[in-house]
Amino acid sequence: VSRGPQPPRTAKALPVVFVVDDDPSVREALSSLFRSVDLQVELFGSTAEFLQHKRPDGASCLVLDIRLPGVSGLDFQAQLQQASIRIPIIFMTGHGDIPMSVRAMKAGAVDFLAKPFRDQDMLDAVAAALQRDRQVREAEDAATSLRANYDLLSPREREVMALVTTGLMNKQVAGQLGLSEITVKIHRGHAMKKMNARSLADLVRMAESLGLHKPKAHQA
Amino acid sequence: MSASIAHEVNQPLAGIVTNGEAGLRWLDRKEPELGEVRSAMERIIRDGKRASQVVERLRALARKAPQQTALLDLNEVITEGVALVQREIQSHHVALQLDLARDLPPVLAGRVELQQVVINLMMNGMQAMEPVTDRPRHLVVRSFAQAEEVFVSVQDSGIGIDPENMSRLFNAFFTTRANGMGMGLSIGRSIIESYGGRIWASSNDGAGTTFQFALPARADGAS
Repeated sequence: VSRGPQPPRTAKALPVVFVVDDDPSVREALSSLFRSVDLQVELFGSTAEFLQHKRPDGASCLVLDIRLPGVSGLDFQAQLQQASIRIPIIFMTGHGDIPMSVRAMKAGAVDFLAKPFRDQDMLDAVAAALQRDRQVREAEDAATSLRANYDLLSPREREVMALVTTGLMNKQVAGQLGLSEITVKIHRGHAMKKMNARSLADLVRMAESLGLHKPKAHQA
Repeated sequence: MSASIAHEVNQPLAGIVTNGEAGLRWLDRKEPELGEVRSAMERIIRDGKRASQVVERLRALARKAPQQTALLDLNEVITEGVALVQREIQSHHVALQLDLARDLPPVLAGRVELQQVVINLMMNGMQAMEPVTDRPRHLVVRSFAQAEEVFVSVQDSGIGIDPENMSRLFNAFFTTRANGMGMGLSIGRSIIESYGGRIWASSNDGAGTTFQFALPARADGAS
């Protein structure tokens, strides 16, 4: 059972806009607007319906009415955060309520639009939200695959990686670990290959992302 | 209550606007999608009807009220209304002056409805003064009796109203505010007129606007 180095996830699902509004007029209108610019839309009449739905792998965002029966949009935003469901939210409100919008924005909402809104404002907000989600996902994917690659290294390779990325020469690393210089070179080559590092600079950046040089605790 | 009314009217209106905009986008595509345009227009018609039904219900609501009419002291109505907007007065940094005539004759009307009108006028005045930073934000509420009528006026030192908008102020859905629904004054007019009164606005000599309404005075103890 040999696992090779993992490339970053490439399956690019189409972006999806989720709409939660208890009013069918608003839902259907938004569906038409988003589809007219070739965005995929999923409509929900309540937050419960939305939660039951499977969220996709690709970028997505949530267009949420702030006044919903049962749970308010703001409370739902907090619930999602508690459940570690990260999805950028654009709030819609029937009346421009400034304290509410401040609370929503502070809790990380992308935008806050008063109904009736301008179509371009809504589309701009959705584009910004999808872009934000895409970046978060890419960063998460990169961190995951970096960690997965690092897990493939042998203990020796990890030691060599930790030391060479502090700027030590192969000879110095060999001295510290009590190995021959040629062995260090081999371990270093394996580490670079498993980590998909193109250069030493690349490997240094990865070591930093992985936090290999944080405290002194790492000195074996 | 006014928030829930606004919500109920605003939903179909938001639907209409968005359907219209979406319809234009379907038309403007390289290959116009006429089926989508048709659906958007059908939804516009449906939502338009729905909005007008809501307005119709509001009208009916405003007409039904005389059941709860009573002889009222307008000064009491004003002071109770002021108590309800105390927080807004503070948060808007408004100096409120009450100038209430003694011994007002009573009027025959619904207490809650009149309060709604008074509160609406005070809120409008405060909102008109929101942008004002270079002079005091002064709200003066007066009551007085004159020629068989009792008057209430609400005077602000706000940004004022363009003369061309004066005549449309009391129309449903007319608003000069970005987030306004244009319902407050039109409902206010329905209420005042249903009690045989009148409501109007005028620009002050200095800054701001004065809204007033007048209701027929009733002798004490009369029907």
